[in-house]
Formats: sequence, structure tokens, C-alpha cells
Amino acid sequence: MPGKGLIVRQRSLIAITAALAAGALTLTACGSRDNGKSSDSGSGGGTTVTIGVDAPLTGDLSALGLGIKNSVDLAAKTANKQNYVKGVTFKIEALDDQAQPSSGQQNASKLVADNGVLGVVGPLNSSVAESMQKVFDDAKLVEVSPANTNPALTQGPDWQKTKARTYKSYFRTATTDAIQGPFAAQYVYNDSKKKKVFVIDDKKTYGAGLAATFTEEFKKLGGTVVGTEHINPDTKDFSAVATKVKNSGAEVVYYGGEYPQAGPLSKQIKATGAKVPVVGGDGIFDPTFIKLAGANSTGDLATSVGAPVEQLPSAKEFVANYKEAGYKEEYAAYGGYSYDSAWAIIEAVKKVVEDNGGKLPSDARAKVTAAMQNVSFDGVTGKVSFDEFGDATNKQLTVYAVENGAWKPVKSGTYTG
Amino acid sequence: MSGIGPVEPGEDTSAWDAPEPASSLLHDPPRGRLARLYDRHRRVALTAAAIAALLAGGGYLYATRPRQPPPPPPPYPSQVVEVAYLSSAATPPGAPPRSFSFGVVLRVESGPPVTVSRIAQPYAGLSVTSLPRPPFRTKAGSARKVVITMHVTECGKVPEEAGLPFLDVTLRNTRAMQVQSFILGPRYAQALSSAVRVACDDDSG
Repeated sequence: MPGKGLIVRQRSLIAITAALAAGALTLTACGSRDNGKSSDSGSGGGTTVTIGVDAPLTGDLSALGLGIKNSVDLAAKTANKQNYVKGVTFKIEALDDQAQPSSGQQNASKLVADNGVLGVVGPLNSSVAESMQKVFDDAKLVEVSPANTNPALTQGPDWQKTKARTYKSYFRTATTDAIQGPFAAQYVYNDSKKKKVFVIDDKKTYGAGLAATFTEEFKKLGGTVVGTEHINPDTKDFSAVATKVKNSGAEVVYYGGEYPQAGPLSKQIKATGAKVPVVGGDGIFDPTFIKLAGANSTGDLATSVGAPVEQLPSAKEFVANYKEAGYKEEYAAYGGYSYDSAWAIIEAVKKVVEDNGGKLPSDARAKVTAAMQNVSFDGVTGKVSFDEFGDATNKQLTVYAVENGAWKPVKSGTYTG
Repeated sequence: MSGIGPVEPGEDTSAWDAPEPASSLLHDPPRGRLARLYDRHRRVALTAAAIAALLAGGGYLYATRPRQPPPPPPPYPSQVVEVAYLSSAATPPGAPPRSFSFGVVLRVESGPPVTVSRIAQPYAGLSVTSLPRPPFRTKAGSARKVVITMHVTECGKVPEEAGLPFLDVTLRNTRAMQVQSFILGPRYAQALSSAVRVACDDDSG
């Protein structure tokens, strides 16, 4: 039997334990955590819809192509995680076109043959797109390119005189060279104060088209074209062209083409002693250009589609999610546009499924293509929607300059015509 | 290596130097000054300990309370402003000869108010004024008509048929100050070309 002292001690202990418990409960109630529900469903269940991807996954342009593929993959995974389209799980099927039109066409046929494919993101190159458009259009399979900039793809071959859409299944999220080339010309002539240009292109659809739109505007502004050359993209020795540039008295070089050639071309032009900047389009806007061009590339310029990533809060989220997903390759110049292209397909599928009582209709491809025309959402690159030609309505572009071994934005423009 | 190590206690055995388990209950431990003080003020001590524990617990919960994420920063002004060409407009009285005017609409879609602190254009032979004169502020969700008046100062330094002319507009909000080029499209390009042509033809004639 406990003594009196022990009873007093026990009463004290009980009182204090009760007080502590009550206090703890009160505090816990006050500070109750709202953990929320983190849906970690990686699957929407039910039907699986495939988003095809066509891009150069190997070869010189693979840095851009792999960025496209990974960004589409991120969009599909995000839609699945959010169960964005009820009853539908998205997966991707990525094919390598090696930047070759013939490979692109084969890939288009392969994607058309797979009934699970309801939309395709790609390609990178305008020349490859030309070979794919009819194949997709015949099958009413929608194609959204994040990177094609040649105006003829949406507005027809006579776009400068009469705009006419050829393929209703073709859309793009990138701004066209009809804006990019002239914007570069305005910057070079008015801001950089360069009046004499040497224009070089790689004879491909993208490069030649971009060089043409640049040249036309540069001349209209009062500039002089002191020389033109076409290079063979299969070589890396441009010493003969570089010498011509030096002897021409050009103050600037405009190159229509891509970074695997533009980098060495810039380096070899500077090696002749000609201190002239090389200017190009989105095809040279990649860190690889600076690596290939070397230290003397400081002052070289590139225009690229869209606003700088740091100015877009939505792009910041994309960058963070891309990093978290752990892809080995960078998202590169077209990552945001690729994510938005894939998301446009996801939105179109969602609309079709919802309009059909929660199921895919038998003519899903045609319906998705039709739905794409009215898709509208706030994407990584801004508001995503398409005009009557299938072109992006959001037309922003930025001039970047090489500074301290990196591309830095120097001027941005918005097309509101 | 071999040998016999210390013998471990086995079942039903106990180590010789282990203390008897019950011995501690039989004898009070030696009590020091602090212990005696504690005996005298047990209630006060326990209450103080309880308060201390409560304060510590409360402090911990306060420090680790769920917090609202900081609000997102306001958007960059260039991402929320749209400038579109309207049509030609009457030139304000008092404008110098070889001047022409046109209207643009400036819309601010969202975010804090945006101040236009400068309107310019890139050609050396043109000068620009506007009504209202910068700086002027526009709130989100509203649109404002601005009349731009251009004066041709030197015909040789103005392109007569630029395909994609633009206005450089300096925008400022609480996030940043930016110069954005607004490319106003083919209608603006044609209007600008014809106005420049008229101004410079009049000059030569």
C-alpha cells in the first residue's frame, strides 16, 4: 500500500500529464496539417492513346530532337498523373527521322498504320514536314510541329501573294519565318547598324526560306547584299566561303540553316580575320553552336521563337518539372513548344472523349483533327491556339546574342498583325 | 588463436559482480542538496517543467506550421500587354509638316497596372509623339486608345516599304521595365509606307 507521499506524487503526475495531454491536443488541433491528397496515379485506366513523336533522335541535330521527345513524354506523364482525360492513358511512340525527309515519310506511314496513334508531335525540320504532311492528312491524323518555321507549310507555296492552307491536319506552335527573317533584318539594320550583309544558306527548305525572308526585308530597309553563297550541309570545311566573306567587305553574315554547320562556319569566318558577326534563326539557337563556333562567337546573333524562358512563369514550372523528371538531355530550343504541342493533342482528345460520353468515337482521328482547330489553353509558351491556317496565334520572338559563352536575350518582339 | 575467455553468465546463473536487482529498492539513494530542494518544491518544479514542455511543443508546432506558398511574382509587362493597329487618325493641330497619325489600342490583360514610359520606332528619319504622352498608366482588364503621330525628319532615312515595321514600347510594372517591339502587321506596314510616300512626295514637289 502506497504511503501519503507517494499518493501526492502520483496526483501531481496525473495532473501534469493531463495538462500536457490537453495542451498537446489543443496545439495539435490548432496546427493541424492539411496534407491534402496527392494523387499519384500514373494511369487514367481504360483506353490507351498514343502520341507519336517524329524528330531527329540521332545525328547532328539530336540535341534538339531529344529535347522534343522528352518534352512530349513529360506532357503525357503529366496528363496521366492528373488523370486529365478520364478513362484515357497517354503513351508516346518516338521515331527517329535523322533530319531526312525520306525517313520522316516512312515514320509518318508507320504512325498512321498504328491505330492507337491519335496525334503526332514533330518534326523539327521543315523539309521533313513537307514529306510527311500528305501522309498524315490522307489519314486525317493531326500533326503539331513545335519547330517548323517555313511559312509555306501552313499558308501554301504562294504564301507571299495568296495564302491558302493545303493541309487541315497540320498545325504548329512555332512562329514562322515570315516574321522571324524580317525581325532579324530589322534588328541587324536598325539596332546593330549593319548595312552590308553576306547571305549564306544550306539550300534546305528551312534555311533557304529563312535567308529569303531576311534578305527581302534587309533590302527594303535600305541594306545591301554584298554576296550570297550556298553551302553543302554534308561538309564542315567552309574555308572557301569564309574567304569570300572576308573579301566582300560585308559587315555581317546572315546564315539560313542549322547549328552543326553554322558553328564551324562562324569559326572559319573569324579565322580569316574578318570581324563580322554571324546571324541566324532558331536553327542555330543552341548551346552547341557556341561550342562549335568557339570563343570568337561573342557577338553572334540568333532569333528564336517565343519569349525568353525566364519571362514566362509557366515556362519556369515546365523547366522545374523537366528537371525533376530526370531526363538526360536538355529540353533545348523547342522543349516548351513540344510540351505545348503535345498538350494541344491531349486537349483535343479530351474534348472528343467528353463530347462522346466519355469514350473515344470510332472516327477519333478525324474528330481530334477537327477539335484541334478550336483548342485554346495557357501553355508553357503562353496562350496556345491556332489561326485559320493552323499557325500559332501567339507570335513572339526574341533576338539572342552570344555573351560570355552563352545566349543572352537582347530584344523581344510580339506580332499583333 | 585459442584460449578461454571470461566466463559469461548462463541460464539461471548470474555474474558475480552484478548488483542484486532488488537492492536498489531496499536502500534510498544518497540524496543531495538539489534533490532535497526538489522534494520541497516538487509542485512548482513539475508545473514549471510542464509549462516549459508546453512552450517547447507550441514553439515546435508554430515553427513547423503549414504556410501559404508566397504569391507568384507579377507577370513581366511584355507578357500581359497587347498593342494592335487600329487605323489612320487625324493629325493633332500644331503638328509639324510631313506628319501623319494613326491609332493603336493598348490592352493590359492581367497583373498590376502597366506604365508606358516611352514609344519609339527604329528608323532614323522618323520622330514619334503620342497622345496621351508617356508616361501613362493602364490597369489590367482595360484598353486605351493611343494616337501616334510620326514626323518625317529625313526622307532618305525612312524605308518606304518595310515589310514588318514595329513600334518599340517601353513598359514598366512592379516586376520589370522592358522594351518590347510590337510588330503591328501588314495593315500598319501598308499605312506607314503610303504615309511616308505622301510626306516625302510632298517634300520633293
